[in-house]
Amino acid sequence: MNLKTRKILDRAFAGSGVFSILLMTAALVVLLAPMLIRGWSAIYFVATVEHRQLMLERFERGNPERVAAEINAAIAARAPLYRMIAAFEKQLETCDPENRKRYAPPLRELKKALHSLLGPAPGAIRPMLMRDQYGQMRWDRALVKLRNVLYREAWDYSDPTRGGIKSLKPRAAEFAGTPVEPLFAYLENNLDKMLLPRRTLYWQFLTDNSFDSHFFGGIWPEILGTFYLAVGAMLFAIPLGLIAAIYLTEYARETRLIGILRTCISTLAGVPSIVFGLFGLAFFINTLKVSSSKSVLAGALTLALMILPTLIRASEEAIRAVPHTYKEAALSLGAGRWHTVMSVILPAALPGILTGIVISMGRAAGETAPIIFTAAVSVGKPLALWQVFSQPTPALSWNIYNLATEHEAVDAIRHVQYGLVLTLVALVLVLNLAAIFLRARVSKHLKG
Amino acid sequence: MDTKTQNIALHDRDMPSLLLSHSARRRQRLAAVLGNGLLLAVTSFSMLAVLFIFLFIARDALPFFQHDGLREFFTSTRWYPSAGNPEFGALAIFFGSAMVTFGAILVAVPLGIAAAVCLSDVIPFALRQFVKPVIEMLAAIPSVAYGFFALVVFAPLLQQQGGHLLAVAVWIIGLPSAVLAIIVLSDVAGDRLNDRFQSLARWGIIIVLGSGALVGLMVIGKSLSALRIASGTNAFNVAIILGIMALPTIVSVSEDALQSVGRELREGSYALGATRAETIVKIVLPAAASGILAAVILGVMRAIGETMVVWMASGNASQIPQPWYNMLEPVRTLTATIAGDMGEADQVTGSSRYHVLFAMAFCLLVFSFVCNLASERIIRRARQKAGG
Repeated sequence: MNLKTRKILDRAFAGSGVFSILLMTAALVVLLAPMLIRGWSAIYFVATVEHRQLMLERFERGNPERVAAEINAAIAARAPLYRMIAAFEKQLETCDPENRKRYAPPLRELKKALHSLLGPAPGAIRPMLMRDQYGQMRWDRALVKLRNVLYREAWDYSDPTRGGIKSLKPRAAEFAGTPVEPLFAYLENNLDKMLLPRRTLYWQFLTDNSFDSHFFGGIWPEILGTFYLAVGAMLFAIPLGLIAAIYLTEYARETRLIGILRTCISTLAGVPSIVFGLFGLAFFINTLKVSSSKSVLAGALTLALMILPTLIRASEEAIRAVPHTYKEAALSLGAGRWHTVMSVILPAALPGILTGIVISMGRAAGETAPIIFTAAVSVGKPLALWQVFSQPTPALSWNIYNLATEHEAVDAIRHVQYGLVLTLVALVLVLNLAAIFLRARVSKHLKG
Repeated sequence: MDTKTQNIALHDRDMPSLLLSHSARRRQRLAAVLGNGLLLAVTSFSMLAVLFIFLFIARDALPFFQHDGLREFFTSTRWYPSAGNPEFGALAIFFGSAMVTFGAILVAVPLGIAAAVCLSDVIPFALRQFVKPVIEMLAAIPSVAYGFFALVVFAPLLQQQGGHLLAVAVWIIGLPSAVLAIIVLSDVAGDRLNDRFQSLARWGIIIVLGSGALVGLMVIGKSLSALRIASGTNAFNVAIILGIMALPTIVSVSEDALQSVGRELREGSYALGATRAETIVKIVLPAAASGILAAVILGVMRAIGETMVVWMASGNASQIPQPWYNMLEPVRTLTATIAGDMGEADQVTGSSRYHVLFAMAFCLLVFSFVCNLASERIIRRARQKAGG
């Protein structure tokens, strides 16, 4: 081949490597960007007067007089809507049955759509479910609901090859010539006066309990549950992992038994996480009966098994990185082997071991599959410390899955889902960044 | 080290009186043996854990195989565990697992090896310090966050813009490779002829093949653009995401393998006049082949054992796609089946429905065990070869 061609090929080769690294970076950015951007909207968003009313009624937050004044202003702005509907209903009572039949279903639908936008009509009975007691808390959701009031979704199934085709029909046309017709224009023009949107920082999202299957409130039970699970797993795994690492590096001779042990550790590292979950169910709950059903304890034990190999490997590496001279100096001063390990090697390896601990903790906090059958429930109160031995808990990772797939109104609580994801990812990444920082310091320390 | 301890041992046999009294020494030795035993016992805990995992998964899997036999499980595609007359044909589920894993490997292996080569041989050390954290972060992001992304962001995107996305991807990959292929072909063909026709032949090849490739790419791109994807939660979506998840493993393990190929080999190749690409492709990669194979095996394990992404975004339809290689159809995998069905089977502990999930877990366990042994043996052998 030509030298020129060979050079081109060489460049292309290097280029493909750089391309794949750029692609990897791009993947990371694309992955994190929506979580960061939309995750914030769980905490910082445009809240309506309904949100402030909820805060006052459930948590006694905010200035009662000011909120009351706002609620009154909103009620005053909404009054014409209900007047129009009342007038139309009165008219229907007196008109002929055919007209009544024609207008009754669309009117019912309209009232339902209005209810989900603005909450119960004044004077109505207080509904049982909390989600029916308030209008939309968030301006972005309110705009979605406004569209539901203004337009009716219609599905066209006439073409069997393409499935249903959605079209939007304005409700105003359905009520043409009735007292309700001006309602739509009035609603569209005055929605901000009815809901009084304002930018709000709802940092209590992180510390509030959730209400009515996550329609309202925050994610405190999930955060606490993840904390319990991760810390519990570390409590079991750290002593085991550390001792194993010390034994493998300082005591063990390379016998056949140690070879098998090492194979077992790497096998444990390769076991799929869902298998750990099944094992936790079959062993910790069904056989050992550490608790009568799912519990934080069983979940933490399962997670501890899962992160044990990571912890052993990281600690082993950290201990091996301690220069030989340290150990030899200690031995030559007459220290025993155990004494050397405890007073010289472990302190020198500590930052490296901490790195391993921090990374494993992130892994334990983020893992879902092992806790599905052993510890996780979708809705629950925050647990007190003594309840961890017998009670299951909600957890960040499990609830992301649960709210994104199994919740009854997945679209209505997107912000909660994104808030959960952001919290979990931020937690794990902060732990990992701490590990990276620690390691940079360690390598400097051991070099210098 | 060995000779040193021997020396010390000899030494203190000569002068026992200098050190400790007889009984104190015995006590110390006893303590050492006991301590050693205790440490070994704690260390053996992981061995015990592996043993127990195999034991307990097998114990609950066995009743299924005893009661329902192997044949239906491995050969039928009819998966109706909750029917009045339940059927447990898991072939489609095995196929789904294999399909998404294969797709993930297709994504992750070329990218991962290219990135590893780039990290070890191309970019300077200072830049590497910035790339490493990217890989670590990709590895650290919890699987449920990947699953959420696949379900909430990627699936709707695929459903609405999937055809265009595929077309763009084909152009991005196809155009540079076509250009390179044409350059190489024209060069090789040109070398065979004598000087007078050389440039003529070369340009002729470039024009003919170039226009052919352009037309081909356009046709493929057009047909892909027109593609309508019925559902965004399908095997393709999951394969891409699993590929990204397997990347960090593959990159870091194969980078280690590339690094362990010594400088001497590379320098020898450079001294013979090879370019960097030729050195890597002909010398370094073959020398590191076993390490890279181990990396691929670990990547396979990561992809096949992953639960949350496939559970959330694979569509969970227990069927073999039509035709079988169609990745744009929903599939169902072993892990997702275990995770999804256990919630319902939990109440009927002891039924076939409960045990069949353990049977699947057992298959996964055995597979990962075999993969692990294979990768370990490959790495150990490579290390011995490098050392000897």
